Amino acid sequence: MSTPVPGYDCTMDELMVVAFSRAMSNDTRAFNGAVSFIPVCGYMLARRTHAPDLVWAASSIAVDADPDEIGDSTLSDSLWGGASMLSNSPFDFWTYAQGARYNTFAFRGAQMDACGNVNNTVIGPYDAPKVRLPGGGGMADLGTMIPRIYLWSSTHDPRTFVERLDFRSGIGWGDGGDHRERLGLPGGPQLCITNLCVFDFEPVGKRMRLASLHPGVTAEQVQQATGFEVVMPEGAIPATAEPTAEELRLLRTEVDPTSARLREF
Amino acid sequence: MSKVTTLEQAAAQVPDGATVAIGGLSMNSAPMALVRELVRQEKKDLTLVAIVAGMAVDWLVAGRCVRRVLSGLVSFEGLGLAPNFRAGVQSGRVAVEEYSEHLLICRLQAQSSNLPFMPTKAGLGTDVLGLHTASGAVREERDAPSGERYVACTRLPVDVALVHAHEADERGNARVNPKLVWMDNEIVNAAARTVASVERVAATEAFTAEPERTTYPRFMIDAVAPAPLGAYPCSSFPDYSHDSEFFTAYSQAARDRGEFTQFFRERVVGPETWEDFLDANNAATGASA
Repeated sequence: MSTPVPGYDCTMDELMVVAFSRAMSNDTRAFNGAVSFIPVCGYMLARRTHAPDLVWAASSIAVDADPDEIGDSTLSDSLWGGASMLSNSPFDFWTYAQGARYNTFAFRGAQMDACGNVNNTVIGPYDAPKVRLPGGGGMADLGTMIPRIYLWSSTHDPRTFVERLDFRSGIGWGDGGDHRERLGLPGGPQLCITNLCVFDFEPVGKRMRLASLHPGVTAEQVQQATGFEVVMPEGAIPATAEPTAEELRLLRTEVDPTSARLREF
Repeated sequence: MSKVTTLEQAAAQVPDGATVAIGGLSMNSAPMALVRELVRQEKKDLTLVAIVAGMAVDWLVAGRCVRRVLSGLVSFEGLGLAPNFRAGVQSGRVAVEEYSEHLLICRLQAQSSNLPFMPTKAGLGTDVLGLHTASGAVREERDAPSGERYVACTRLPVDVALVHAHEADERGNARVNPKLVWMDNEIVNAAARTVASVERVAATEAFTAEPERTTYPRFMIDAVAPAPLGAYPCSSFPDYSHDSEFFTAYSQAARDRGEFTQFFRERVVGPETWEDFLDANNAATGASA
């Protein structure tokens, strides 16, 4: 469902896409997994605005795709229009991922913790789950290989943002601090974009820190909606920047004219 | 001797208790006609290797054919969780050995390369590795000279691989057009036998005229089962896309046990032939929509 953002001329899905898009640099080389409408819109928008050289492989397969519209699956051929290459999974994709030729990946989980680790495997004990979820898919892999990890969630609540995951399907900053470095893994999570705020990661402990608040949301509300203690920055917390009219026009008319992104809300 | 056979005979070659690897990825290129036939033949105690799957696993679990699933991911993506898979696991009837895409790929590569293990950094720092401590199927190790950590993925023997391709000849040469094979090469290379369903049978001359387009050579394919729209309700790029309506109707029916039993009988296992199945689902329309 499309929710208006108070004081901005846009909706929450649009604010999240634009926040994601602006976090992408021109040297981004990204690909996407399942149910990734917000990142997919973000890559396509960034390429049309400030990051013309950004590489995006639709469904991890279709390099430089530019589909007319986004269908109901972000892994299906409906996303591959305009691609310059359909790459092959084991030989091309996994080699580019292992060698960090792709440098950017975004994932979300049914649960996420303060260090940006995610669970998409089970709610409850592994052997006797209350809910069996789809499984981690490529999260356990790509979390170890890709240096710039982005997280997002359209359901910012204490059930999603938890102190302790029931299962760690994908690694973010692991146990925090220098855990990734000790494991020999590059980079780590950069941002987590939610329907309430944007988190970055405090540089020493690597825990989520409030970076900006969406209009109408207070820091107290973010803390109440989060199952772990949120790191508060020093000084005033800025508002998440307002999308420009041009960003909104491109998103609404060129990137995602059928509003497929609302499937995440 | 021709390797061309029927879906029924191809499926009959899969014994109860076999380890069966399912090709395709999520809603793409899954060998649904062969899977449907396994369900119709009431296979028992199968172990499935399903790297990223959805409807194929759900049909087999609904048909009570499955004991274990080795998987990275099983879902209908944005159209929901795979309902029978979820219920089967939650009730304890089906066991899941969770890996990840690359851990499974590496286990299959170790198998096909005849090596004790294939290394990867996949899985480091996650709870996935802990699930396999007892079996040792994948294990964290450290390279002594460099000190680098890696995960050693041991061989994964597969009895039968089921894949969907566009064309094959009578000798078993097969091709996917374009060569968009997801992880199907990995399962074909690791499996003792491979059965390919194909959109159509082509003459050997079609392969010798364009040998650069052959995906699997004849010595890797043991049986060829013609099945037009054989991946339906999944896609076979570029001929047809997945049919969202089928996924939605299936998930809707699964909310009620009685309704699902009827749906599964009328629209999945009941129709006698693959053509009957396609008719029962208006597949020619749905797949191209």
